[in-house]
Amino acid sequence: MAPLMHPYVSRPTRWTVFLRTFLPWQLWRFVRINIKMLGIIRRSH
Amino acid sequence: MNRIVVLGAGIAGHTAAAFARKWLGRDGSVTVVSPKDYYNWIPSNIWVGVGLMRPEQVTIPLRPVYARHGIEFVHGSARTIYPEGDGASPTPYVTVEPAGGLAGASIRVPYDFLINATGPRLRFDKTPGLGPDANSQSVCTEGHAVQAAHALAESVERMRRGERQRFIVGIGHGTCTCEGAAFEYIVNLEFELRARGVRDRAEIVWLTNEYELGDFGMGGMHFRYGGYVTPSSTFNASLFAERGIDWITRAHTRQVDPGVIHYETLTGEVRERPFDFAMLLPPFSGVGIKAFDRDGGDITTRLFQPNDFMKVDADYEPKPFEAWRAADWPRTYQSPAYPNVFAAGIAFAPPHAISRPYTSPSGAAIAPAPPRTGMPSAMIGKAVARSIVDMIRGSQGPTRTASMAEMGAACVASAGANPFTGTAASMTVFPIVPDFDRYPEYGRDLGRTFGEIGLAGHWIKILLHHLFLYKARLRPGWSLIPE
Repeated sequence: MAPLMHPYVSRPTRWTVFLRTFLPWQLWRFVRINIKMLGIIRRSH
Repeated sequence: MNRIVVLGAGIAGHTAAAFARKWLGRDGSVTVVSPKDYYNWIPSNIWVGVGLMRPEQVTIPLRPVYARHGIEFVHGSARTIYPEGDGASPTPYVTVEPAGGLAGASIRVPYDFLINATGPRLRFDKTPGLGPDANSQSVCTEGHAVQAAHALAESVERMRRGERQRFIVGIGHGTCTCEGAAFEYIVNLEFELRARGVRDRAEIVWLTNEYELGDFGMGGMHFRYGGYVTPSSTFNASLFAERGIDWITRAHTRQVDPGVIHYETLTGEVRERPFDFAMLLPPFSGVGIKAFDRDGGDITTRLFQPNDFMKVDADYEPKPFEAWRAADWPRTYQSPAYPNVFAAGIAFAPPHAISRPYTSPSGAAIAPAPPRTGMPSAMIGKAVARSIVDMIRGSQGPTRTASMAEMGAACVASAGANPFTGTAASMTVFPIVPDFDRYPEYGRDLGRTFGEIGLAGHWIKILLHHLFLYKARLRPGWSLIPE
């Protein structure tokens, strides 16, 4: 493997990267993030 | 007959005009003055700039929208404000240079209430060689983004022929804002190079005036994550490291020659970096409207700060960075000089920087200016419209507030556009301007400030693209869609 360009920087694990595009998990996150954002929008209006 | 005149048809101006028209009913007229007769959903210019969208997918013609809703439209650029009228009449008015008209031609547009939502002037001239007419690309307008996409396509062709290409994305001056937009561009660019099978021949570098990555002109953010309170710099650096993007922070771009950027850093080092493709955002100022009293005396400095942004109900008293407070930020956006004049969106003058300002040994300011686009701009436009309509109906002063130190923002930064493999960083912050009186440790409510990268964010970004363009078309139910 090639040496890291920035060895002191946090990098995601394979599991984290996998979850980012894993459809069932992302469908849940879609709902959850929308709820969080609607909360911010409601509080800000 | 009450006349509301809105200067500008961007996110703030268009929102203000639409709500003013809806709430005003038959009590008066609403006129929009804009040099462009179309609306540009600027957040999606990123996708035009990497060749994934056409300009007509991020713009809508305004004339039919305004004709349908009874909003008058003047196609031109506001040049002067006469808030007291002149010797011939006490009625306030603005002068407008018609688009495509003869140089020096002028239209007089009278008003009872004025909303200045003119947005920024793109100051490519602040850095020699900067901009799409010179040696670098931009995505500030849909036209710039098209040019950037063509340049990117040429680079991709070269890489397909076996050449290596050096990409630099970021800021074109030490005082730039909108680092978030440049951040979206660099990660989309990297994603597209992978999608087109040429990533291994590309060197990609982020050039920024931020003291730390993830500052975004907001002093950074903090998130609760994995048992820690973690700064946004950690997440930003992690994403860049994961994507093989190198970075240069604390930098001021001094000059852009063909194929070479000259920049200096906070430590005073002056360096140069060769490139094949550079997308560098310009610094902003106000558009440079002049103001005159009824006798023709120049009162521009009563209405505007030296950077041409409009003074509103903020505390502009100069003070050290440590002494500023969230309460310094404006709430009603009413001009202190003329109560029937307001500013909305980028056009209002922020009272101070959110990110700590720094200066290089040569005297160059190196710090992001405060961002005030998107959701807050629309909310300010809506609040100003409501206040004006209430004042027309008898209220003594503004009735609505929209302080950026009291509102949160939801933001989705695209990190690659694909319905199955794309991702975006979804973020919320509350409040936008940190309030260290209410939240002494981090300036923000950590329960309402979060960030996450994933495909869900990309779906939300697509949803918002269509939702906000629907809203901008003022289709049925438009006012139910939140800002």
